[in-house]
Amino acid sequence: MISLIFFLSVGVLLFSSLFLLARRNTRPEGSSSALVEARQALRTLQAGLLPLELVNRVFAEQDWEYVRSETPRCIHELFLDERKGIALLWLKQVRTQIRSLQRFHRGAARHYARLNPRTEVELALSFAALMGACKVLQVLVYVAGPYAAPRMVGLVANVANRACKTSEQSLGFLDAARLGALARPSDAAIL
Amino acid sequence: MSRWLIMGLGLLLEFLLLGRGLQARLVKRYYFFYLYVASVIFFTAVMILANWTAPSLYDRWYWPLQLGTLVTGYGILLEIVNHVLAPYPGAERFARFSGLGAFGVILTFALLAPLVAPHWSRGTIIEFERDLRSVQAVFICGVLAVIFYYGIGMGRNMKGMIMGYGLYILTSLMSLAVRSYAGTRFDQIWDVVQPLSFDISLVIWLVALWSYCPNPTPDHMIHLEEDYGALVARTKGVMGAIRAYIGI
Repeated sequence: MISLIFFLSVGVLLFSSLFLLARRNTRPEGSSSALVEARQALRTLQAGLLPLELVNRVFAEQDWEYVRSETPRCIHELFLDERKGIALLWLKQVRTQIRSLQRFHRGAARHYARLNPRTEVELALSFAALMGACKVLQVLVYVAGPYAAPRMVGLVANVANRACKTSEQSLGFLDAARLGALARPSDAAIL
Repeated sequence: MSRWLIMGLGLLLEFLLLGRGLQARLVKRYYFFYLYVASVIFFTAVMILANWTAPSLYDRWYWPLQLGTLVTGYGILLEIVNHVLAPYPGAERFARFSGLGAFGVILTFALLAPLVAPHWSRGTIIEFERDLRSVQAVFICGVLAVIFYYGIGMGRNMKGMIMGYGLYILTSLMSLAVRSYAGTRFDQIWDVVQPLSFDISLVIWLVALWSYCPNPTPDHMIHLEEDYGALVARTKGVMGAIRAYIGI
């Protein structure tokens, strides 16, 4: 009976893989346009959304103290709800950064003849662990709110900033001239 | 009777597939695949002939020939690796690494098994084929995982080749697993299900391989001025920084 379950499980795994294949788009990912998009996303985040001063301002605890002392209780809830939404948005952006980095790494690594399968497996597991950790943090913020763990918000901001900076280094080889060359007419509109 | 009707229909489809492959000059491009098709034609023709002329030969020849097609079937997997992953040396290396391991297991099984157990019962050989099919199933899952992970695109030819063979392996694996558990009472169903699933695979191949459809390639091949080690080091660096901040 155990062997039957085992082989049927292998069959289910194969069926799932074939199902995903049948539903999959044939267009390859990680092409130059995807790299251009990754670069563009980083720029937008760095320039408009991630400066540390702005993050500190958005999550400043003084705001909460002011609202708590100067406004009625119904405003407290509204305020906390909005701040929680912002914290969740921030965590979502960290996840986007990790996903962007992973996509860039996969898009580049598959072209290397000297690719090390073991290293790739390790990296894939690390990415999965990071994404999982971010998801757990999102749940914590959702349940406990943005001010329940004030250090965590700062942590998230720093992580997002650092991730952006280092990802930019990873994408550094895509200088402006090359970006222009890589971008298709449709990409040119975005750039 | 229904089994022989299904096998006869299968033989017709196999000839059609091979004929179309020759006409569209696909045989040169996918020679491992068409070698498999030719081996299956030989197997089916011998089995039909044996059943008509000397039914006792059928049972004697069935398993050696079936194992032969199982080994040539591995050529389809090689074809997939060669064609889909060729423009991506890194991903190809990854898939080849796992594929060679799986092929080694199949070959070792095929060579050593007759020496270890020369007088197999029907039940034992069914379990043996089930094991080999599961190795192929795991290999296909592995290659598909590499294809999905690295976001590699596929043309109609390759997608159909994988779908057809994957479907046949899936049905074989499931029916062999149930047959080895349930015993001979499953034979009546098994005798119809296995050749029928292969006919369905043949129809998929016929449609997918009607004409040549190359695999899409990345629109630009970017020459990176750094080696793989540097890329990994940078990626690990970013992840280390993120980990340090999150505190995991």
